Amino acid sequence: MAQQRKWPVVLMSATLVAGLLAGCGNKNDNNGSSASPSGSASSSASNSPEALKPLTLSFYSEDPSPNWTNMQDDVGKEITAKTGITLDAEFAVGDAVQKSALIASSGKYPDLISPKTSISKFVDAGAVIDLTDLIDKYGPNIKKVYGDQLKRLRYSNDDHAIYVLPTYDGVGKTYFNAGGGFELQHRVVKELGYPQIKTLQDYENAIKAYLEKHPTDENGNKNIGLTLNADDWHMYISVTNPAFQATGGSDDGEYHITDDGKTVTYHFLRPEEKDYFKWLNHMNAEGLLDPESFVQKYDQYKAKIATGRVLGLIDQDWDYGDGENALKAEGKFDQGYAHFSVTLNDTIKDRTFQSTGFMAGSGVAISKTNPDPIRTIKFLDYLASDEGQVLVNWGIEGKHYNVVDGKRVIPEDVQKKKYNDTTNFVKETGLSNVGGLYPLLAPHYGDGVKDPSGNYYTTVFPDQIVAGFNDVEKETLKAYNATTWKDLFPNESEFPVKPWGAAWNIPIPSDSEITVLDEKLKTITWKMIPKAILAKPEEFDGIWDDYVKQLEKAGVHKAEELRAQTVADRVKLWNE
Amino acid sequence: MKAITETGVPGSPPRTTSKWSRFWRIAFRNRYLYLMSLPFVAWVFLFNYYPLWGWLMAFQRFKPGKSIWEQKWVGFDQFKTLFQDDMFYQVLRNTLAMSVMGLVATFVVPIVFAIMMNEMKGMFFKRFVQTVSYLPHFVSWAVVTSIVTRMLSTDNGVVNDILMGLGFIHEPIQFMAKGNLFWGIVTVSDVWKETGWNAIIYLAAIAGIGPELYEAAKVDGASRLRQIWHITIPGIRTTIIILLIMQIGHLVSIGFEKQFLLGNNLVRDYSDVLDLYSLRYGLQMSRYSFGVAVNIFTSVVSLLLLFTANGIFKRFTKESVI
Repeated sequence: MAQQRKWPVVLMSATLVAGLLAGCGNKNDNNGSSASPSGSASSSASNSPEALKPLTLSFYSEDPSPNWTNMQDDVGKEITAKTGITLDAEFAVGDAVQKSALIASSGKYPDLISPKTSISKFVDAGAVIDLTDLIDKYGPNIKKVYGDQLKRLRYSNDDHAIYVLPTYDGVGKTYFNAGGGFELQHRVVKELGYPQIKTLQDYENAIKAYLEKHPTDENGNKNIGLTLNADDWHMYISVTNPAFQATGGSDDGEYHITDDGKTVTYHFLRPEEKDYFKWLNHMNAEGLLDPESFVQKYDQYKAKIATGRVLGLIDQDWDYGDGENALKAEGKFDQGYAHFSVTLNDTIKDRTFQSTGFMAGSGVAISKTNPDPIRTIKFLDYLASDEGQVLVNWGIEGKHYNVVDGKRVIPEDVQKKKYNDTTNFVKETGLSNVGGLYPLLAPHYGDGVKDPSGNYYTTVFPDQIVAGFNDVEKETLKAYNATTWKDLFPNESEFPVKPWGAAWNIPIPSDSEITVLDEKLKTITWKMIPKAILAKPEEFDGIWDDYVKQLEKAGVHKAEELRAQTVADRVKLWNE
Repeated sequence: MKAITETGVPGSPPRTTSKWSRFWRIAFRNRYLYLMSLPFVAWVFLFNYYPLWGWLMAFQRFKPGKSIWEQKWVGFDQFKTLFQDDMFYQVLRNTLAMSVMGLVATFVVPIVFAIMMNEMKGMFFKRFVQTVSYLPHFVSWAVVTSIVTRMLSTDNGVVNDILMGLGFIHEPIQFMAKGNLFWGIVTVSDVWKETGWNAIIYLAAIAGIGPELYEAAKVDGASRLRQIWHITIPGIRTTIIILLIMQIGHLVSIGFEKQFLLGNNLVRDYSDVLDLYSLRYGLQMSRYSFGVAVNIFTSVVSLLLLFTANGIFKRFTKESVI
């Protein structure tokens, strides 16, 4: 009897306590928002009191974030204070694609999902909602950031819904430095009196001249003219992509697309590229190309660079960086590398920096089980606002940066900590010199875009890059009348913006014939190109003909047709 | 089972007990043995048989994110694609070539090595050699590959330096760039890595041969070679044959680690094996169904090989595993 009577009492008191807590919570939040000194006038959507009720959203991202502190860092706390939202995050460890497939098939979806290319699985499973109306009603800042690129967010020609807010690519991003092209050691160009390096012939002459003077290093080991990195996928970076870069092609993966977007060619079939590989064959015959180029493993390649014996590279700085850093650590700065834009002949323009426009792509999606999509989109909208973007990139004014004469300046001690104690700094503040914890959460502007106050949104801008060069690099740059390596490359303004973005960025359905065709063509190319380069010069043409024949047999023209279709679809989707 | 029934019930069974009740009686008598083996049976079932239902995928066009019953059924399409692909025959050839070469080498060398070790006198030296010889087994293939490629390098590689020093060649040879050398390089590095380890089991088998046999042979005036031929080798014959049959079963599934790590684009035609093929054309392209089809093929061929080998040995030597 007594037990039976207890129930209503317990229930009632629980309700009371809950109500009391909820009431207190509301009150506190009201106080918080009215007392907040900076105010939230600029973030139009998030200033109503009920929007600040504490809400925890679960969040899943395919990218690991080892320094995540459950938003207990400075910036995270500020975001919660401004929006009332806390993220309970989970990051993929190991095979992210598999993890996403598991989540998509489980039916238990996180409230916010950042799935990269796995988005198709979530869409197929009906797990994510269309954001079009939400953006329209509650996302003024999101709309402002994307501007007229909003069309590029649409999923496909058959399904115009917006499932993802792209957050990986910054809108309006400009590059301030070049990390690719053809590299020569600083000591090579210095010794030769900084000659003009524009064509393959110039490049070859420089290597040849230096190698004749200095055939060995001080220990009697042979100096190496040019080495390539052909281990697995590095093949793209160091062997095959440079072929279209040196012949005026833009990066569209394994295909070359004419400016009108109509003609699609497997890029190796362009006659200019045959000449490029013929040049590499010639370099090999002359003994200027490292004979181990196609045999060495990646670690051997890096170790070789670290000896300082390699005069020339055709690679990206992030790919050979470990080797060069070892040289820098030993103080051998003159054996580091300068970047040049080199083409087959002087009539061809290097299109490395041709603009793709905003690339859309990976970002965040809201699941159908999200308890409050409106609050969620408002939360993302706050992060996309000017105030939000400055907060996630620069931090809190007076703490992580100061405004001096209208310019945002990072104090010396903060800057030092940021660079030398990166991990702890991220955990404490949520900010980092290599991208903090929050910028990839929401739509944002890219490097080089300025906010209404005339400051850059991000902390990457020219002054900072120049400050990062060492003295030898500055000397070489000065000799070529350049501030950064990018000045040696043709500017993006010389080329039209590609209306399809980049062909390598167009998603291909996994059951499409293209995937298999591409893999077959790749196998043939990766086998035959090294063979042609290492052959005797008189055999080159015969091997090349054989290569073309094999490609045709494997269905290269079919692949081109299918590819042309995807490009046409993309142009329609993005520009209609 | 056969052994237990024979020893368990000597003489002719009484007419009244059927075959089944006799089985249960014996099973009950050996209940503790059955109980002890139960976890292992469960383990084999759970990890080896239960996953087999995933083979259904090979007859579908599998897309992750949906349950296996919601997939599209395509019959034997995946197998058709597989058998129509020229590359498949090339990788099959490479797989068989490398595994037969590997089988012969990693079989003969350890036996010879074990017999030679057995003939050695000094106990300390013998132990030392044995320990050193199986050390490479614990080195991962990633490291072995690095050692091999560096030794065969044209840029101060040991092998080229020695050959040049002795005057056999005038120009360094690009060993890793020659497709026709690839199978040999894989086999030799395999022998280097596994000889000592594989010899352990033969050494153990040799240790089990009674010393009185050797003494008797000595009395009869048999030389060392005669002793090896008539005592040591027959003594370990059973071990040899059982290991051989099991290795033949693994002929098609040789893994891809060494080929993947040692290979490069220049020797692709010789280095790609079945497992690499199913990785590249199956998993990496999300063609899970195709990958499963390749693996079903491997499993079926392995079973066939195993039974054939077993049958042949049963017929000619009366030794078999099944």
